[in-house]
Amino acid sequence: MKEHLEQCMQAIVDGDSPKAAELAKASLDKGYPVLEVIEKGFARGIREVGRLWEEGELFLPELVIGAEAMKKAMEVLRPALEAGEAAEKLGRVVIGTIEGDIHDIGKTLVATMLSANGFEVTDLGADVPVKRFVDEAEKTGADWIAVSALLTTTMPGQKRVIDELASRSLRGKIRVMVGGAPCSKEWAAEIGADGYAGDAVAAVALARQKTA
Amino acid sequence: MKPFLESLGERVLLFDGGMGSMLIAAGLGEGEAPDVWNITRPDVLMGVHKAFLDAGADVIQTNTFGATPVKLAASSRGAPPDAAKVNEAGATLARTAIREFGFGDRWLAGDIGPTGEFFPPMGVLTEARAFEAFRIQAEALENGVVDIFLIETMYDIREAVAAVRAVREVSVKPVVCELTMERKKRGYFTIVGDTPARAAEELPAAGADMIGANCSMASAEMIDLASEMRALTKTPLLFQPNAGRPEMVSGKAVYRQTPEEFAAEVMKIVEAGAEAVGGCCGTTPEFIRALRAKLDAWR
Repeated sequence: MKEHLEQCMQAIVDGDSPKAAELAKASLDKGYPVLEVIEKGFARGIREVGRLWEEGELFLPELVIGAEAMKKAMEVLRPALEAGEAAEKLGRVVIGTIEGDIHDIGKTLVATMLSANGFEVTDLGADVPVKRFVDEAEKTGADWIAVSALLTTTMPGQKRVIDELASRSLRGKIRVMVGGAPCSKEWAAEIGADGYAGDAVAAVALARQKTA
Repeated sequence: MKPFLESLGERVLLFDGGMGSMLIAAGLGEGEAPDVWNITRPDVLMGVHKAFLDAGADVIQTNTFGATPVKLAASSRGAPPDAAKVNEAGATLARTAIREFGFGDRWLAGDIGPTGEFFPPMGVLTEARAFEAFRIQAEALENGVVDIFLIETMYDIREAVAAVRAVREVSVKPVVCELTMERKKRGYFTIVGDTPARAAEELPAAGADMIGANCSMASAEMIDLASEMRALTKTPLLFQPNAGRPEMVSGKAVYRQTPEEFAAEVMKIVEAGAEAVGGCCGTTPEFIRALRAKLDAWR
């Protein structure tokens, strides 16, 4: 089994979707514990991809195909996970790029990595109105709203999401993380966000750390 | 006026600074496509061009960074504006500024930025779609009469090459192509992993007369990149760093670097062998003026 888990990890690092799906099926056929296959195999792979990306050893294409391979493995494993062992969802996240801003790639990357790491993600796309973030978060029972802004002119929208939560008395129940090139820890603190994530890997770490 | 490429060998040329931050200061609103101001607010653009010309820029850039039809469609709510009109208006008004304010010895660069879409595996952009978008933009800039083309902030060599080829299809004028890179442990890379070595090889092969880098980095971080690229190629080089890194203060982007600090660091890029320099985000006419003074003293 140890060797099998290594192969699972490697398929993700290599960004090999067919192989990842095949290994996921094999895990089920062999009756390996699904959670262990995910945690010690596939998820270790996606964390390794994230680490290599942060180190500057891998770039956007490798990160994307790694996350794609992870998705494929999870598609195979999820039904077994939900049927058998208590589905251990790390949390629910509603994510989008704030209204007036069409920058999509960073946000999509964060969404993909969150979902690859076991979060249930609702991606609202770009140019998302403030109310829609909060409506969707209420509807899905989200733990987090992740708001991306890539322009200094659209960043104030991130604060309006927080204001909207406050006006519905949802502050503290639904947390807010902000990201995007012009954002910073200081900006997050200034507007009262629950966290700042500078990239997709940091977003996963933040969501893991605070969703308990 | 002397041809641009001929002048390159004689003195270090100065490009202008950041357009976006100037337009925001002039009241550009949230979610508004800056390029459309070429048609709706030509008065503001004339003022910005004049300010950079007064500051001593040898080359000014049209306000058409986001004006491929692909990007305009994505950044507009409702029906997108006609890309050809936006580009031609941008070139015509900058040309008018050069003439009316008496700067006949300066060059006009038709500015071209990325489509905003990604090639696989990140997105679905194709060579043909990118080429066609850039061809439409380049043709309109040519019609508005620019002296050179400046393709900038490219993060994928495939898209940069498509842009250079598209310009070459419609014009014989000089083409400059800048990538945007970050410094990683193993060196400089674009976000998709393209290197200075690839830029030095593939961009001139596609028809670029000058290559370089802009945005993403502050002036100090760009000095080593300039040395590295100089060692890689004899192709003329242009660098346009940002004015330091922006900090958010009360919801506004503030660039803390002073024009003097910026100019001093950009001079190190000149000393590393760049044929031309200028500014990107946050570099106001004051930054260009400070650099003009240092370049004049250096010559």
